[in-house]
Amino acid sequence: MPPDTPIAQPYAGVRILDLTRRFGLYAGRLFADLGADVILVEPPGGLADRAGFTGGGTDGRFAFLNASKKSVVIDASSQGGRAAIETIAARSDIVFVERDGPYFEETALLRRVNPRAVVTAISPFGSTGPMANAPATDLVLQAAGGIAWMSGRIEDAPLSLPFDQATMVGSIYAATVASIAFADAERTGNGHLIDVAVQECIAHSLQNAVQVWDLERRVSIRGGEGTRDATEDIFPCRDGYVFLASPLALGGSWKALVGWIKETGHPTGEALSAEKWSSREWRLTGEARAEFRKLFTAFIADRDKDAITAEAIARRIVMGPVNKVTETFADPQLAHRGFYRGMQLSDGRSVTFPGPPYKLTPQVWRTSAAPQLGADGENGEQAA
Amino acid sequence: MRPRFLQNVRVADFTWAGAGPFGTKIFSDFGADVVKIESSIRLDSVRTGGPFKDRKFGVNRSGYFASRNTGKKSVVLDMKSDEGRKLAFDIIRQSDIIANNFGPGAMDRMGLGYEAVKAVKPDIVYLSMPMYGEDGPRKELLGVGMTISAVTGLMWSTGYRADDPVGPGTHYPDHAANPYHAAFAVLAALRRRRLTGEGMKIDLSQVESTLNFIGTAVVRAGLEGGDRPQAGNGSATMAPHGLFRCAGDDNWCAVTVRDDAEWRALATIIGGKDAASPDLASTEGRLERRAEVERIVGAWTADRDAETVASTLRDAGIPAAVVANSRYLIERDRHLAERGYWQRVEHPELGRSLYASPPYDIDGERVELSRPPLLGEHTRPVLRDLLGMADDEIDRLEAAGVFK
Repeated sequence: MPPDTPIAQPYAGVRILDLTRRFGLYAGRLFADLGADVILVEPPGGLADRAGFTGGGTDGRFAFLNASKKSVVIDASSQGGRAAIETIAARSDIVFVERDGPYFEETALLRRVNPRAVVTAISPFGSTGPMANAPATDLVLQAAGGIAWMSGRIEDAPLSLPFDQATMVGSIYAATVASIAFADAERTGNGHLIDVAVQECIAHSLQNAVQVWDLERRVSIRGGEGTRDATEDIFPCRDGYVFLASPLALGGSWKALVGWIKETGHPTGEALSAEKWSSREWRLTGEARAEFRKLFTAFIADRDKDAITAEAIARRIVMGPVNKVTETFADPQLAHRGFYRGMQLSDGRSVTFPGPPYKLTPQVWRTSAAPQLGADGENGEQAA
Repeated sequence: MRPRFLQNVRVADFTWAGAGPFGTKIFSDFGADVVKIESSIRLDSVRTGGPFKDRKFGVNRSGYFASRNTGKKSVVLDMKSDEGRKLAFDIIRQSDIIANNFGPGAMDRMGLGYEAVKAVKPDIVYLSMPMYGEDGPRKELLGVGMTISAVTGLMWSTGYRADDPVGPGTHYPDHAANPYHAAFAVLAALRRRRLTGEGMKIDLSQVESTLNFIGTAVVRAGLEGGDRPQAGNGSATMAPHGLFRCAGDDNWCAVTVRDDAEWRALATIIGGKDAASPDLASTEGRLERRAEVERIVGAWTADRDAETVASTLRDAGIPAAVVANSRYLIERDRHLAERGYWQRVEHPELGRSLYASPPYDIDGERVELSRPPLLGEHTRPVLRDLLGMADDEIDRLEAAGVFK
């Protein structure tokens, strides 16, 4: 990798006061990697997420969501602490607050302290409405926002998304709208107050389910039964699973798939050449799904993911490996692009760390380890 | 409100299908001039994919297209013709951003690769979002949204039990992580351009973007030297934590208990000696006896109305919610209704159809959406007003078949 050269980062010179607690933590991270000075204010003892469930050292969640930020310990319940926070707020361009954290109920005060700032308030259900104060967890928000309903098998319960996705979805909406409002604030000198509801962010991420109900009175449901082609599924191979999608509508993927199987002389090739496979309707049925599963699984049972992926690329079949998270560390494409990088965490441990979500030229994305508690200062008024 | 925060920004928008246009929609919703350049030769797949108004097919009747393209303009050009490509370049010259979500090399084949565009517009912000990135041994791997889920580990991690991956459906992560990471990068590039006068090339690999959305798990896997087993709807730190079946056909309620006090409150509501067992009084005890805890909660919810379960628990301070589906959100969710989350927008072919608002208020107001464009609706106005072309020249191009 070429050495870092001093290229101006997009948010160089921008200060952000980060008073978030959970659902908003990733928003500040996005700005911090692009040059903003993001000051995470933590209570004495640190945010609850710091020491993870596994104990001993920084938790992976904290390490990821707070990389590139600064940490200042301030007791927001003391008068001196409040003065310190308001001093930082007065010099900030963007302030993120979150329900159950300091100043969420006092956004009007923050606006008075700094009328130029974009104050972005993140909460499970927004700051108004009958559910404004309802208790919430990530799973509850996935349920309330309508996304939990959409995954899983029809014969089983709905299935939630893993790894606290309400945090990620809520944060990315907060970051984009804060960025837009900041562009306006910089131009006009007038700040804004933004009220981000995580439930609404989730409900905004349901593909076309809202329109499917509004226009056709159908409820989009888990499993894809009746809407998904027999080929669109996960199939076991010798060393794991592959994901395939070869409906007739998808270019030449089906033809290439059958061509490959026939070329090998495997009997599945003949079976898939039968007339019935040219019926789009029949391919949506449970019968077609069961039959395809049996035939295709027989063909790939003694093939490896990598070999199957190579054929998929060469023959232009929509098919790829179902990786475990750890398998992505050895993914040749990610390795070629230098996606993963080593990082030494502030507790001294080294870890494989994700690279940027976007490759920027010129390269202006930089990340650094999440800060130690109070690494960038402590306020004198802390509770004993 | 109709915010004009991005009023001086123009986007030459070549994105299509679901995810790409979702990322440029936020620009038009905030007042940018987003010129969608499309073609009737190869229609945007969401124009031809439903749902359709009255279930009747039509290129201007798709709700899916509508939901991704509010406030944009539509210009139709035959990009295979020299004159079509020239017009596209003329629009790009007057744009701040060019966006596409084609596979690698597709823009080059149209003559719209980064270097070609930069040559006519040196400070362009150029967004591409191919699935696996623009370079590398697997850049040509073809994929749909679920392929992204497969290769990142998200699909493997979304399952009820070990060694039985289910994955999210087609809705995730395609409609959150990637379009919004893209939008954030473009906004950052615009600010940098204001500071330095320089443009930026943004190569958003949807795989890399999604790996950041599961970045907390990636870092944990690295630290712990392995993958955590699939948790289903469970949690490593909370029990109960799940989606429980309620009375009726397919009704469910999310119930989560964060600490022992919440469990005591829940146990009191459920009643009986099983819930009162001292073995379940601590988080540790409940995590060890997770199956037992979930059996107790599930037995209590099974013959109760999901809304009643959710409100009873919420009133006791326990995080709970009905597992909402689209219909429930639209027709029954009083909170969303009171917050004015839903908008109806008039459209010549869709009528007054339904849209989700951007998921926030700004200065106490909702962002009001403008309707999506009809196919080619703005071809003439854009050529006339933006490119300054005379009507007879536009007529000539139309007769020559450039607008298709």
